[in-house]
Amino acid sequence: MQPNTNTPKVWYKLDLSAIVYPTLQRRDFSSVYRLSVVLKEPVDPALLQKAVDTALVRFPTYKTAIRKGLFWRYLEPNNRPGPFVQKDIRNFCMPMPFKAGNRYLLRVYYHDRRISLEAHHCLGDGTGGMYVLQTITAAYLRLLGHQISVGGFVKDIKEEPSPGELEDAYMRYANAKVSPSRPGEKTYRVRGTRAPFYTFNVIDGILSVNEVMAVASKYQATITEYLNSVLLYALLQKQQSDWHIKLRPVKIAMPVNLRRFFPSETLRNFITMVYPGVDPRLGDYTFEEIVKQVHNYMRYYINDKFLRGDITTNANTQRNPLIRVVPLFIKDFVVRMFYTKVQDRNSSAGLTNMGALKVPDDMKPYIDRFDIYMGQPFSCRTNCAIVSFEDTLTINFASSILESDVERLFFQKLVSDGIHVKIESNRTY
Amino acid sequence: MSYCVNCGVELESSLTACPLCHTPVINPNELQKLTAQSPFPTEKGKVDVVKRKDLGILVSIVLIATSLSCLLLNLFVFSGSPWSLFIIGACLVLFVLVFPAVIYTKLPIYISLLFDGVSIGVYLFLITFNTSNVEWFWKLALPILVLATILVEIFTLLLRSFSVSFLATSLYVFAESALLCVGIELLIRHYSNAPLHLTWSAIVLTVCGVIVVLLITLLSIRRLRDAVRRRLHF
Repeated sequence: MQPNTNTPKVWYKLDLSAIVYPTLQRRDFSSVYRLSVVLKEPVDPALLQKAVDTALVRFPTYKTAIRKGLFWRYLEPNNRPGPFVQKDIRNFCMPMPFKAGNRYLLRVYYHDRRISLEAHHCLGDGTGGMYVLQTITAAYLRLLGHQISVGGFVKDIKEEPSPGELEDAYMRYANAKVSPSRPGEKTYRVRGTRAPFYTFNVIDGILSVNEVMAVASKYQATITEYLNSVLLYALLQKQQSDWHIKLRPVKIAMPVNLRRFFPSETLRNFITMVYPGVDPRLGDYTFEEIVKQVHNYMRYYINDKFLRGDITTNANTQRNPLIRVVPLFIKDFVVRMFYTKVQDRNSSAGLTNMGALKVPDDMKPYIDRFDIYMGQPFSCRTNCAIVSFEDTLTINFASSILESDVERLFFQKLVSDGIHVKIESNRTY
Repeated sequence: MSYCVNCGVELESSLTACPLCHTPVINPNELQKLTAQSPFPTEKGKVDVVKRKDLGILVSIVLIATSLSCLLLNLFVFSGSPWSLFIIGACLVLFVLVFPAVIYTKLPIYISLLFDGVSIGVYLFLITFNTSNVEWFWKLALPILVLATILVEIFTLLLRSFSVSFLATSLYVFAESALLCVGIELLIRHYSNAPLHLTWSAIVLTVCGVIVVLLITLLSIRRLRDAVRRRLHF
């Protein structure tokens, strides 16, 4: 049969968030995040490879390569062999050159009982990545002979992807009548000694969800609000102990999953950033006051009205005809400049909470816990990612600086609040 | 099960010190070395090297096609003088310059620079076919090229072996500029059979000498070095 030459070649526009990530690409930096699942049994790499090969076909926007156009980058299907599962490495989330690794923008690693998926942020956010990881894990467990049903983050491999999974959901909801201005204020930045290239320092804290929830409710806050406050508290203490001429506000960049407010089944990026923070120039904050401040901030800003305004502001930049006709290399230069000079200085640290993960009931017995890492920070600072499964809450700090003061102050506060913390780390000093 | 005496956190069994405060883990009852395996892998990964095969093929074809078409035009159409050697030589130099960046990236930088020098030498030699004599090549162009290549190799060696700070790089540049100017003047004088003494290059040598002494002083006194860096940072 003759191939149908009239069928147009499939390609995908980058979504609104994804436009930024490739422009930040450097020799020593890529916006790569990692999602890991720790199973109860050691992983068989041959079966895992089979599972990756069968499951990844279900996610066409993840089996892609990034290309440059004259005005924008775009994704096109990648039919090269791979991605191949690899033995895990110590310095994970390492840079991902677009033309290496058969042009795949994701990597799958295994180590002992752990399966890890690393994806470039231009493919999708943590929620989208979690669908891919859990579907691969379910396919792997099925190959081992277990019965795993579809549901939660596990997609049916035999099912065709729906158009909604591939959409740029931002554009559907970027319809506010006004575009509020972006906050732009220089915040406190952690001063640290940059670790040598090829270093990725990780400190994981393993806690009990029930214990954290009990403490958080004592402060009349949710787990996210409480942990945000603990991180702000640690950063405030760090700023006080650093040598400084003047104090700066301390803010945290926190991605909000927009699917909670705007119905969408997209597997691509659908997040926006909010910046809870406190300003020590106004006076000394007690921990209770920080919790109250964060609690009120979240209540005030995280709702569909404010978030819609935020998306509209971002979308208007991309929709502007004058910006659209500017060649890509100029856009890259301007975006990188804006990100380095404004966006990156808007926050002192990053914190994301994926919340309690939904896993099909018949898959739960095979899973020990999940870990997520926000990836290498763009500047010298630390990023914190939180995820919970059953009663295990994992807090993963990732940084490329030698000092671990923020992590120490953070976990010491949790311990002083009566929470039992178990620490794992790949640091050697 | 160990706990950090300073932070109060439980530590994973393979940790020999608390990663938060670096307090060592010591169990007075079990002083032997810890044998538990870390949950993290020990091997380090390396970023894949991007192969620019397509660009390499494209550049090679463009350069070869340009050289061949000029050679054929020179042989059969405009055959007055061997002018195509100018273009063929330029293509050769371009190919040698592009080779380590695109085609074979593992070549040591010193060998790449040596090849660059050799290719420029070949280009200059090809130019002699369009000039009335070759004396200028052997007596002037080649010695200057050899001197420049040696100085570039030394500069690279210094940058890779020692400090690459702004001040240190300036020191290398000024010291080598002085040597290059002195070398060029002496070679020109030798070529034109003039007495071997310094005139204009003496001025360059003096200025560079003063700057070099100044830079060495700055580099050896930390307080001065920091002050200059503070005032001149960009």
